[in-house]
Amino acid sequence: MEDLTSLPQDVRGTECAADASDDALLRQFAEGDAGAARALTDRLAPRCFSVAMRMLGNRTEAEDVTQDAMMRLWKMAPKWVSGQAKVSTWLYRVTLNLCVDVQRKNRPDRLDDVPEPEDNDLSAAEKLQEAARKDALQTALSQLPERQKQAVILRHIEELSNPEIAGIMGISTEAVESLTARGKRGLAAILAGRQDELGYEDD
Amino acid sequence: MTEDNMELDQLFAQARQAQPALSDNLAVRILTDAEAVRLERLKPSAPRRSVWARLVEGIGGWQSMGGLVAASAAGVWIGFAAPDFLPDPATILYPEDTSFAVANLGLDTSFLEDAE
Repeated sequence: MEDLTSLPQDVRGTECAADASDDALLRQFAEGDAGAARALTDRLAPRCFSVAMRMLGNRTEAEDVTQDAMMRLWKMAPKWVSGQAKVSTWLYRVTLNLCVDVQRKNRPDRLDDVPEPEDNDLSAAEKLQEAARKDALQTALSQLPERQKQAVILRHIEELSNPEIAGIMGISTEAVESLTARGKRGLAAILAGRQDELGYEDD
Repeated sequence: MTEDNMELDQLFAQARQAQPALSDNLAVRILTDAEAVRLERLKPSAPRRSVWARLVEGIGGWQSMGGLVAASAAGVWIGFAAPDFLPDPATILYPEDTSFAVANLGLDTSFLEDAE
């Protein structure tokens, strides 16, 4: 009995796309398989979009970032070295970097997401209340320092493991734990209306 | 702090359940990009052409090359065995006696004489 698993992926075809690894799909795409692009889009684009949505809180911007990140994936495909890292790790990192770029472009004079003091406290409070009604978590997240926000989103919304987040953010797992812990404390304080307890120091 | 954490965990759970869906429009945009990149990669790249091939093309292709070769061969033949009706090219270029011309330049021509 011939061992089918030893056959190259392209011989076995794309009907098993659902079982194929991201690595294999990316290689198939680089070799000219259009079906592999669809499978990769189904699998990776929603995660990319979800992170961008949480990072930016703006659908149009998040969609542009997702398209841009996926475009980089298509162009990178022939250069991808299998087994070195996970495709999703690479894509998450690209997505986060693109989100940072968008945020810098939107707020060129601000280094971080520290809220600026409002002139009119009443209107600020009203705005916060309105936003809170829409999505309390999103509002709170937008007030967290950048790296804490990234770590919290990847850990608690994307449910990635600490080592994977470490790979995405290019830091140690201990640093991830520290960032998520501080991020959670910060979020809790914001949600409880205790912004004054927030520490804005970031890694 | 535990209450805060419970509230947070609830919010995280809600957020996970309410993951924003990818719009059809965005999926189409992404797949259109993928297809453009894929087709670009499949396009046969122009084979690298040798300097010789490009030179021949610049002159006007192999037919012109044939004409050029024939003309060159005729030139070589005329050089060896010029027909009587053609003037000697040497007398056109150098109408005077060459040794006289060199002597008139005021150069030391003794080595020429030695050679003779």
